[in-house]
Amino acid sequence: MERIVQGMGITEVLKIMRKADGYYITNTARDMSQSDYKNRILEITGGASVHVDILRKQVDPFLKLELLREKMPKTMFQTLCRGINLFGYRPYPQNVIRFVVKEFAKYVDVWRVFDFMNHVPNMQAVFEEVQAAGKILEPCICFSTGPEHTNEFYVKKVQAILDVTGEEIVLCIKNHGGLGSPKRIGELVDAILQKYPEMVIHYHGHNTDGNDIGRIVSAAMSGAKIVDASDHAFTGYYGPPPILSVIHTLKEYGREAVGINEAAIMETSEVLQPERKYYEYFESQIKGFDPTVQIHKLPGGAMGSSLEQAAKGGFLDKMPEILHKELPKVQIELGNYWSVTPGSQILWTTAVSNVQGGERYGNCSGDLQNLLLGKYGPFPFYQPPDWIYEKAFGPDWKKVLEEQGGMEAIEDIDLEKERKALADKLGYKPTEQQLVTYLQHPNDAVNFFRFEEKFGKVYVLPPSILFRRGGFKLGETIAYKDHTGKEHIVEMGPMQENEDGSETNVYLNIDHHQRHFVFENAVAQAGEAKAAKLSKKEIEDLAKAGDVRAPFTANICEISVQEGQEVKAGEKLVVLEVARLSPRWVMPCSQGMS
Amino acid sequence: MKKKILIANRGEIALRIIRAVQELGHIAVAIYETPDKDALHIRTADEAIWIGDGPRCDYLNIDKVIGVAKKVGVDAIHPGYGFLAENPDFAKACESNGIIFIGPPSEVIQALGDKVTARRIMMEAGIPMVPGTDNLSAGDHGLREAIDFADKYGYPVMLKATAGGGGRGIRRVENEKQLRAELPMARAEAKSAFNNDAVFLEKAVINPKHVEVQIIADKDGNTVHLGSRDCSIQRRNQKLVEIAPSLIQDKALVDLICATAVTAAKASHYVNAGTVEFLVDRDWKFYFMEINTRVQVEHTVTEMVTGIDIVRTQIKVALGKKLSFCQEDVHIRGFAVEMRINAEDPQNNFMPEGGKTVSVYRSPGGYGVRLDGFVYQGFTIPKVYDSLLVKMTVFGFSWNETVDRLLRCLNNFVITGPKTTIPYYVNLVQDPDFKKGDFDTSFIETHSHLINYDDQVSEGNKLAHLIAEIHYKGENPYAV
Repeated sequence: MERIVQGMGITEVLKIMRKADGYYITNTARDMSQSDYKNRILEITGGASVHVDILRKQVDPFLKLELLREKMPKTMFQTLCRGINLFGYRPYPQNVIRFVVKEFAKYVDVWRVFDFMNHVPNMQAVFEEVQAAGKILEPCICFSTGPEHTNEFYVKKVQAILDVTGEEIVLCIKNHGGLGSPKRIGELVDAILQKYPEMVIHYHGHNTDGNDIGRIVSAAMSGAKIVDASDHAFTGYYGPPPILSVIHTLKEYGREAVGINEAAIMETSEVLQPERKYYEYFESQIKGFDPTVQIHKLPGGAMGSSLEQAAKGGFLDKMPEILHKELPKVQIELGNYWSVTPGSQILWTTAVSNVQGGERYGNCSGDLQNLLLGKYGPFPFYQPPDWIYEKAFGPDWKKVLEEQGGMEAIEDIDLEKERKALADKLGYKPTEQQLVTYLQHPNDAVNFFRFEEKFGKVYVLPPSILFRRGGFKLGETIAYKDHTGKEHIVEMGPMQENEDGSETNVYLNIDHHQRHFVFENAVAQAGEAKAAKLSKKEIEDLAKAGDVRAPFTANICEISVQEGQEVKAGEKLVVLEVARLSPRWVMPCSQGMS
Repeated sequence: MKKKILIANRGEIALRIIRAVQELGHIAVAIYETPDKDALHIRTADEAIWIGDGPRCDYLNIDKVIGVAKKVGVDAIHPGYGFLAENPDFAKACESNGIIFIGPPSEVIQALGDKVTARRIMMEAGIPMVPGTDNLSAGDHGLREAIDFADKYGYPVMLKATAGGGGRGIRRVENEKQLRAELPMARAEAKSAFNNDAVFLEKAVINPKHVEVQIIADKDGNTVHLGSRDCSIQRRNQKLVEIAPSLIQDKALVDLICATAVTAAKASHYVNAGTVEFLVDRDWKFYFMEINTRVQVEHTVTEMVTGIDIVRTQIKVALGKKLSFCQEDVHIRGFAVEMRINAEDPQNNFMPEGGKTVSVYRSPGGYGVRLDGFVYQGFTIPKVYDSLLVKMTVFGFSWNETVDRLLRCLNNFVITGPKTTIPYYVNLVQDPDFKKGDFDTSFIETHSHLINYDDQVSEGNKLAHLIAEIHYKGENPYAV
């Protein structure tokens, strides 16, 4: 039996897999990271990771791929791409999609592509670019349950995909919620293989209900060639199940996993186990499996963030009502489409708003309105009832739907203009990769590039530092290598407030040289006795509102105006004195004095 | 015999003089105003006397300084630079109170401090001069003289306060209209700044090099020069970077300038250390500018290339000793550059950063570096004095070696708290024109891009910054 390694093309991969006896495993640490640790653990790429890389992990998503490739020269890298929504939450213009895919295709070998409406045209641009780049294309059919979700429906979808892609694909059954019984999954795999016997099927599932091994076994026994699992050290919630459990179970049924070294899997988790504690903060607010996923259908990747939102919003106690009553109702009302990004967020926020807001559909989000208007694609089975349209768009909803309904082509944007805009923001010429990141998440990308200028390449710091809670101990030493491999040692010194309490000094010994960093303390709440010093931002805001401030510390030696006096632009207000200079401070614009 | 020597100054020069006094085995007496109560010169001196709350008035108060000197029984006073250093009344007061003034006699200071008198002395001695007028007459008559002069020699012309010095009280005039407007203003300004409204006119020398010669003379009239310095790199007439010797390739010209300096010193009956300043124009013609009758900030570069301790020599000469070396003993070896590291923000128009506390002070070491400073970690820079923190003087056998060493030393210099001119100098020493030694007084103006620098932070410090923030906030605000 032959392993699949980096550099193999789709034809060769399909040939090997078709003739293989056994099955193959994809290590979907990506799904585990997103589902169980809010994307904070190491993952290759795709899904929310591109965004979280720059937003919460402070690592360049491309640099990460380069570094991982160095360490894993033989392993194929897989991404999960949201079709027209790329790695974000909204549809992008065609030229952006093609540009982004081209750049990522330089690093990513396998492209798992889906659309939450299973609307094939939404994935077409990505399909074309992946195939043009010679990478392995793996279109998904998103899976869910309910009377409409028949084998017949899904087999037709497969044909719709093949019509666009041709036969050189791997087909993925994307069971992001871990829905359905093992029997149901087995039947689906079987139905597809009956129609397309040569098809290489990848079953992707989540272990939210604790039963994905059952589904995996059923899929593999029915002929799926690839299944997803992960290192057991980090399993336990809504991500994939443990690799070892999968291979041990299937072995009993006479199916062998290709190219798997069990000792290496055990060793990997032994290394990972002590690290798990550092990620505890990002774990789900509700511990353990959730078999009620079969009712609420939230995808694994959305579970952690939804529960976090509930905890932060103080409505964790309402979860049974939201998850078990309202969400299933909303699902049905909104067409029983597939609960996955960004559609799952629409279902979730609508359900929360329906419960929290008092009136069902009383406050429709813009995303829900777009969904109702068909902006994300046509409803797969049926349209939501009229009364929801009336709630969303008022009594004239029919007119609104007629005039604005349906998908509209998103106009291409001027990439050169965007490149220039980014250059202006950064003050230097951006790389193609920086532009790609910027096009997807403009503000967060710029913030990240500036962050790196200020703090350097912080991905070198271990999770015990990056995710430290409660600060460090006095005298604690922290040793690390920077990205160039240079060793550094930091010894924690004291932390002291300045006299008026407006700033805190943190003293460190860095490489045996003392340094200190100054942090502005949060401004005291209104009504508190002590008047806090204004922060830099507040000063800037006041300046915008017409406040005039001296640009440097100086003594006032003359005040040339009176309170309440009207002054003109250019008029002398005060004379400040610093050594050797006596600049006048003049009014930048006309206004009354106070 | 042990002498008591009072240092009528503050800052780095006070420390510089205290060192020389103590090396000679004498007793150093410091004085200070209240804002200097934490200053290092007080701790280093053998005695220190508070003279008032200041600021900048007690250091300038002749009666007070003389009174204190007499009270503690000092034998001599070294005035440093600035404050009372070139005030002939102070030298005179020392003389009449039987205290040795470490500097030239008061008449010499008087004569050379008056620019018109100085010009006359130099003219008679045959020293090349920029064409100029005597003190302009009062009122319209003076304006007429000025216009006639400018018409004869052409614009631009320099309008100078007779009693000015150190780059102050000078304005450049481009045309007659401006001359009419500026003359009364210049007079008023000179009156308020120097208590003397006399002004005169000189033809402007466009973008000259500023070349000066260190001289020293004993009371017997033995006058020796210690070679040249180039101080062309100036910002608004304030020197930033000084070099010894001048980088002019034509050695004969430099020798001629040095010899001329000695002639000028002798013509003015100069005693003790002084500096003869010249302008060198693009046709390699040189003109006498002025004689500074004090030890200069940049004396260190001359010490580095000659090996002669100028302040020590000043004290010995003032105490009546003959010069222990003659012209033939003076050899120039290598190159030295002094950079004035000021607490200023170059990116905010070189605004002084006084009032801030030096939180980290880490200075460079190794071969060829000398530091003349007065700040220490934890020292709060008084707002009321100048912004010079430390002079970094770097020596090298060749010009290239010196420039390489300058960059290394600047990169090794860490001062946090106040912003400093260090990052600006890091850019400056890497500038191709600077490296070639190709600069004149327009250098700073024509190299305005040197202001563009980012705060250089090492990767280790950047990462530590995040660690500090995690520590302060109790969590990583960029990860949660």
